[in-house]
Amino acid sequence: MIILGIESSCDDTSAAVVKDGRVLSNAMASQSVHEKYGGVVPELASRAHQQNIIPVVDDALKSAGISSAELDAIAFTRGPGLMGSLLVGTSFAKGLALSLDIPLIEVNHLQAHILSHFIIKEEKESTLPGLPFLCLLVSGGHTQLVVVEDYLDMKIIGQTIDDAAGEAFDKCAKVMGLSYPGGPLIDKLAVKGNPDAFAFSKPKLSGFDYSFSGLKTSFLYFVRDQLKMNDQFIELRKADLAASLQKTIITILMDKLIKASEKTGITEIGIGGGVAANSGLRNALRQEESKRNWNVYLPEFRYTTDNAAMIAITGYYKYLKKNFTNHSVIPDARMKF
Amino acid sequence: MKILEIHSLDKINEVAEVFLKSFREPCIFAFYGSMGVGKTTFIQAVCKVLGVVDPVSSPTFSIVNEYSCGTDCKVYHFDFYRINSITEVFDFGYEEYFSENAYIFIEWPELIEDLLPPETVKLSITLKDEGLRQISFE
Repeated sequence: MIILGIESSCDDTSAAVVKDGRVLSNAMASQSVHEKYGGVVPELASRAHQQNIIPVVDDALKSAGISSAELDAIAFTRGPGLMGSLLVGTSFAKGLALSLDIPLIEVNHLQAHILSHFIIKEEKESTLPGLPFLCLLVSGGHTQLVVVEDYLDMKIIGQTIDDAAGEAFDKCAKVMGLSYPGGPLIDKLAVKGNPDAFAFSKPKLSGFDYSFSGLKTSFLYFVRDQLKMNDQFIELRKADLAASLQKTIITILMDKLIKASEKTGITEIGIGGGVAANSGLRNALRQEESKRNWNVYLPEFRYTTDNAAMIAITGYYKYLKKNFTNHSVIPDARMKF
Repeated sequence: MKILEIHSLDKINEVAEVFLKSFREPCIFAFYGSMGVGKTTFIQAVCKVLGVVDPVSSPTFSIVNEYSCGTDCKVYHFDFYRINSITEVFDFGYEEYFSENAYIFIEWPELIEDLLPPETVKLSITLKDEGLRQISFE
């Protein structure tokens, strides 16, 4: 069974082909796609996704060695995301499914991030997470703890009430004068710093909800006060600031994850989203794995950012359940699980 | 020029209520103020007064969050912090949002100054002595 996945929820347009749960291609719109067509396609150049979607789908099919006639279904991101961006992917998916006379499958972008753990890999030793599975979804826009009972049966048990964890990384990086998005730069600097050099405020929320707005403010005021005493403070203590900030964010994330694992009894644990690429967070999970007898699943780097392979794999599991979507579907910018 | 003062976080809902009473119908509100001054927090309070039940979180990454504040009542919560160029704003179709009869709250409007409709209500939030926040608008 061959599924084409289309993702256009935010900045990037991507398309991927999945065959029987394995990824055949995962294409992302970039200048190289445009180059094949001799530059930006001018007729379509009103909005970024409109420019990208046809070349990127074409690229995904070609590198998979599949013709559109071989497709069994089209999966697309219905939400959450930016309405204008979602509309492009949704309309394109509808048109293609209609013209090929094959089923259309709507996908929730956040569920797809989690289901990227269930992509079947070629390596012999690779294993998929067992169910139930507890997944911490962390990105620039989201911070959620999700219990996965079954592929299509998920429940959010905790989420951020203000800023996302990735946003805390990026905004504190900005305070330090680093360029946006600064999360990956903090990760790099942190390796050379002392994580216990400074202490920043941690939220005191009950349950499994997160908050990162207070940390951002506490970091900002701390740096401001230090700069009053020494205007070279950031320059001198850059690595220590990064390491201490990273430790604080990871501790906040891990505390609730550990609590959730204890409360639910789930020991199959994973992370997803852009912040899942953070080396400190990955190390923290590996440490807890041996300490707590968890089975930890870390996503491949290419699946931590927005991608269409995760949309196609979600389409695959929905296809198995004949969970198809009517053509009257419209995008849902605030789509819930 | 109107000035509202928030002395502490537990007074924020009262101030949000007073603030909304100054406007009879949905408007476009542009919030000016430095990072950490409390733009998102004040918008959260205003949304609560409007009757939004969905969680109101920072739209820095998503650029716009959409909330329902009852039948025929919509809120668009924008954040242009991570916008690199004005073409990105055209690309995601900002005109369609701005022309809707909805409450529009904008964080980091400095970056799209030229695109703000003339009727936009401009507010600035400043941090005075420890804890005191001042909101001023025309």
